Amino acid sequence: MAGLGDCEFLVRRARELVQEDTCAARAWLITARTLYPQDFNIQYEMYNIERKAERTTSAGRLLYDMFVNFSDQPVVWREISVITAALRNDLQDKQTQFLRGLFEALPGRVQCEMLLKATEQCFNTLERAEMLLLLLRRFPETVVQHGVSLGETLLEAESLEDQESPVNCFRKLFVCDVLPLIINNLDVRLPSSLLYKYLNKAAEFYINYVTRSPQIDAQHQGTQDTSDLLSPTKRSSQKYIIEGLTEKSSQILDPWDRLFKILSVVGMRCEWQMDKGTRNFNDLFHRVKELCRYINNFDNEAHIKYKNQVVYSATLLFFKSVFQYISAIQPSLFQGPNTPNQVPIVLLEDTSSVFSEVEINSGKHIHKRRKLTDSREKTMSSDDEDLSGKGRSRHVIVSKNDLANPNEVLESFKMARECWDLLHSSEALDKEFSRICLPWKTDTWLWLRIFLTDMVIYQGQHKKAVNSLHLMAALQGPHSPTQIMNQGNLEPHRSLIQLAACHFALGEYKLTCEKVLELMNFIVPPSQEVSKTKDEQSKVKPKFRKGNDLKLLPCTSKYVMPYCLQLLLASIKLRAFSDNRDDMALGHLIVLLQHDWPKGENLFLKAIGKICQQGTFQYENFFNYITNIDMLEEFAYLRTQEGGKIHLELIPNQGVLLKSSSTTLGLLQQEFMPVLQASIATSDRHHTVTRGITKGVKEDFRLAMERQVSRCTENLLVVLHHFCINEKILLLQCLA
Amino acid sequence: MMSDIRHSLLRRDALSAAKEVLYHLDIYFSSQLQNAPVPMVEKGPIELLEEFVFQIPRDRGSHNKRLTAMQELQLLEILCNYFQDQTKEAVRQVIFSSLFSPQGNKADEQRMVLLGKLTSMAVAVCRVPVLECAASWLQRTPAVYCVRLAKALVGDYCGLVPGSIQTLKQIFNVSPRFCCQFITAVAALYDMSTEELIPPHDLLEMIVSWIFEDPRLILITFLNTPITANLPIGYLEVSPLMGLVRWCVIAPLAYRRKQKAAGGVPIVEDQNLYSKLHLSVLQGLMVLQTHLTEKSLYGRLALILFEQLVPLVEELGQLCEELNPLNAEQEMELALDRLAQALQVSMATGALLCTRDDLRTLCARLPHNNLMQLVVSGPVQPQPAHPTLTPAYYPHIHTPPLGYPTLPAHAALPAHTALPTHAALPTHAAIPPHTALPAHTALPGHAALPAHATLPAHPALPTHAALPTHPALPGHPVQTFMPGMTFPFRPMR
Repeated sequence: MAGLGDCEFLVRRARELVQEDTCAARAWLITARTLYPQDFNIQYEMYNIERKAERTTSAGRLLYDMFVNFSDQPVVWREISVITAALRNDLQDKQTQFLRGLFEALPGRVQCEMLLKATEQCFNTLERAEMLLLLLRRFPETVVQHGVSLGETLLEAESLEDQESPVNCFRKLFVCDVLPLIINNLDVRLPSSLLYKYLNKAAEFYINYVTRSPQIDAQHQGTQDTSDLLSPTKRSSQKYIIEGLTEKSSQILDPWDRLFKILSVVGMRCEWQMDKGTRNFNDLFHRVKELCRYINNFDNEAHIKYKNQVVYSATLLFFKSVFQYISAIQPSLFQGPNTPNQVPIVLLEDTSSVFSEVEINSGKHIHKRRKLTDSREKTMSSDDEDLSGKGRSRHVIVSKNDLANPNEVLESFKMARECWDLLHSSEALDKEFSRICLPWKTDTWLWLRIFLTDMVIYQGQHKKAVNSLHLMAALQGPHSPTQIMNQGNLEPHRSLIQLAACHFALGEYKLTCEKVLELMNFIVPPSQEVSKTKDEQSKVKPKFRKGNDLKLLPCTSKYVMPYCLQLLLASIKLRAFSDNRDDMALGHLIVLLQHDWPKGENLFLKAIGKICQQGTFQYENFFNYITNIDMLEEFAYLRTQEGGKIHLELIPNQGVLLKSSSTTLGLLQQEFMPVLQASIATSDRHHTVTRGITKGVKEDFRLAMERQVSRCTENLLVVLHHFCINEKILLLQCLA
Repeated sequence: MMSDIRHSLLRRDALSAAKEVLYHLDIYFSSQLQNAPVPMVEKGPIELLEEFVFQIPRDRGSHNKRLTAMQELQLLEILCNYFQDQTKEAVRQVIFSSLFSPQGNKADEQRMVLLGKLTSMAVAVCRVPVLECAASWLQRTPAVYCVRLAKALVGDYCGLVPGSIQTLKQIFNVSPRFCCQFITAVAALYDMSTEELIPPHDLLEMIVSWIFEDPRLILITFLNTPITANLPIGYLEVSPLMGLVRWCVIAPLAYRRKQKAAGGVPIVEDQNLYSKLHLSVLQGLMVLQTHLTEKSLYGRLALILFEQLVPLVEELGQLCEELNPLNAEQEMELALDRLAQALQVSMATGALLCTRDDLRTLCARLPHNNLMQLVVSGPVQPQPAHPTLTPAYYPHIHTPPLGYPTLPAHAALPAHTALPTHAALPTHAAIPPHTALPAHTALPGHAALPAHATLPAHPALPTHAALPTHPALPGHPVQTFMPGMTFPFRPMR
């Protein structure tokens, strides 16, 4: 056909000219188009020239002409899909920006048409959804027609594609992008049931999003330098990407704010009892409590919407508070901008009163004794489902040095507990709350389990706490070796510490001991004894409180080891002072009393009293672990005439030792008392110790004493750590 | 009354008399304007102005009172300030007209000298009201005088001080109407008939930069003028279109001729400017089509008259013959390509009303050119069932320089099919006799003229004179460029 030849001629002429004289080429094409308005190649050539020159307006205009007149041309569709892709991605290169500008240069109505048509051509659900979203965002009037169906498509796609986590691309688009458009558009009619369904989906998404674990990212990051992944700073700087979405689209700012915004819009649309204007979380909770006070039957048909208000508000508040609490006490659990030096914290019963709890004699400790027995009764009774005990408020000791915002943390803890109580205050609410939690599989949420454990610990329900801790261990699974590598950080053994404390509270001393000694394997003895805890305790002590205090303790060896020693001491103390003679227990007790000396002076004197009463005392580990100069002096004195000539068997196999010469002693010492080795070199030196140790005592005892004196500068915590590790069997034996 | 004024003025010195005469005539015309929309300009006021502004002595025998250069400058300042201060456009126009309309007497010489200086000064100090008056003057005054004014300005701004063209260039932003008229006058002045009448480089560059920035510039006067059946002969055209087409077509050969005269030194520097200009003219034509269609004037009003093409084609033919022995094939090809493009696009956009047969006759004696051949014989493909020349209705939400404008189409206005469209179509009677519709054009058959719905079908040609004539706001030259061009605009929420 001659016409076609003409068109080819015209286009070819334009192409020939375009390099040296674009204007001439464009003039040719304008002419060509007036001759052959139906010819696609002419228009496309015109478009290409404008596009290359990045003249957005004229290019846009030509594109639209092609879009209308040549919609059957694959080239046009390719171009439109390139442009819509540029709208969807985050790239900032010149070409992408031009394409965006090109689209922006089109009039709104044209954009709308183009997006709709492009959407129709798109068969990938995700892409299609993103395209429709572009449309809905730009043209709110289209929300009425397409909003809900897009939302439903996304939810459907999510289930069709069998997404494991609610944090997936479909849900993200639905919750973050589509849902606000739908619910904020009052022209879109939505039944309450649908609104609640959407709120539920949003809550599930946001909660899972904020509590996503950092490990997931490592998978997504693929093959990166794995040695770097351990560093907390590296980890937090990693970008989280939801599969299928761009990095930008995967970042969600202020997720809780967004969720509560949805809550408030849904509440408004469902005609909840609400205040107008902005409200804080306390107000929200207060409103819900009020509702609970005035409505006694939530199953009443007329009160359904208030039941929903109470349940959804309290549920969201609950999870938010729990999240805040957990992210403060165990920050590494969540991905996010954690400060790398933030130390994990563990909630424990306070045991600082362990030294003063002398039971049997001394009338001057009457009220303390009463306190002890009171608390013991309470802790014993607390597991008998005695709900009256739950509500009582207990004091939690937090050091400002350990937490940046102790009050906020305690507030979150309190709010979470109150929400929990509220949600379980009636059967209707309880049922509804469970109905929400069940499909969310909240029982698999480790962070929630941690909170629930802390909550029952707070309530003093230690048996429940022990069960909860076992559940937690199941959720945690085996620790990866990398976690243990982190020296001094006991975060992976958080539950072990709590388990020990709970067993102790339950009076299960052997179990306490077992857990403590297991823990000791992971503890690295701090180089210096912590003096800070002493100050802290002495600060708190004067304030006499009813009931036991709790404390939030940094989860590190430095803080946990003293706590463990206190638990051990308290466990053994009862045994040591029981009516039955148990020199082993008494000896262990004395070893442990060295810690935090002289706090345990009273107990030590009581032990000495008991030894005097017995007249003899046998503890062959004495010279291994006792380096306290006061104690050494006391024992040296006991052997003297003035001390009562107590018969002390403190050297292993003393019978053998008595016969052997002093040279063999060295060998034996090497065998039985490896810790003494360092002091052997100094054994020849003559020490004049007070109270006439050398006077009339056996030579080997005197030498041993002298060596011990030289050891008194050793790091006591290292000595005690050895004690716990080496004497594990004996320690457990004496509690059997 | 005039004689009373005259007597009071005679006692004054020249400058205060000039000031005073403006004062009196201002009052006089203002009151006249209250009674009649168009004031009668009688002999009296004109004589007063001649005597007291142009210093032409009334009494025979007394000789010219020549003003000193200083006095003349002061007089210009008085005039400038007067037009600046008078807020009523109509009064300004009457006074300006009374001052500067040629009267066919000996004062005309002085008139033209002073007008040249006044306009030049207004350009220099950016006195928009004076420029607007000058634009109107250029429309109402025989072309010979207009050309003189253009010459004066070109002399002042392209010759005297290098770089002063930049000052003139700025006027684009404040008075596009003046620019449009100025271009028309300049195009009439430099008709490329001789080497001297090739536009100077600076001037060409400025004009091209104006039109390239916004091709709609060449339509401003047309859009702001009541449509009259036939233009009076001897006046400037209503748009510079024809003059610019001439420039673009003749330029390659005119420069070649100039090069020959200069002894073979190639002069190529301006050719890219002409290429740009040519493109801008075609784009301007596309804009024109939109307007003609919107105003239901498509096919009824020609901006390029067939008669005007005849001398252009003849001249081109002569130049080809003249230069042919010089191996000027390239230049000839370019000239013919441009002519063919201009003819085709003018015809398609409704600026030129003739048949392809007319064109064939017109161009029969020109050397062969492929594109011309194609244009003369028309497109080969069959007429499409739904002729849509420029198919999409495209709302102008942004108005940067237009690329390829399009016509409204029924596609975007679905209601149209239901309209009784025939009623509003131009009747044959309204079409000038020799303007048969271009044979090929996809003039929308019965459905693609959306303006009918709103335009009452007046038997007479509608005018678009109701448009504000002083549209430009400094700083937003493009946005408010042509207020006549209102487009459907729906703000986005």
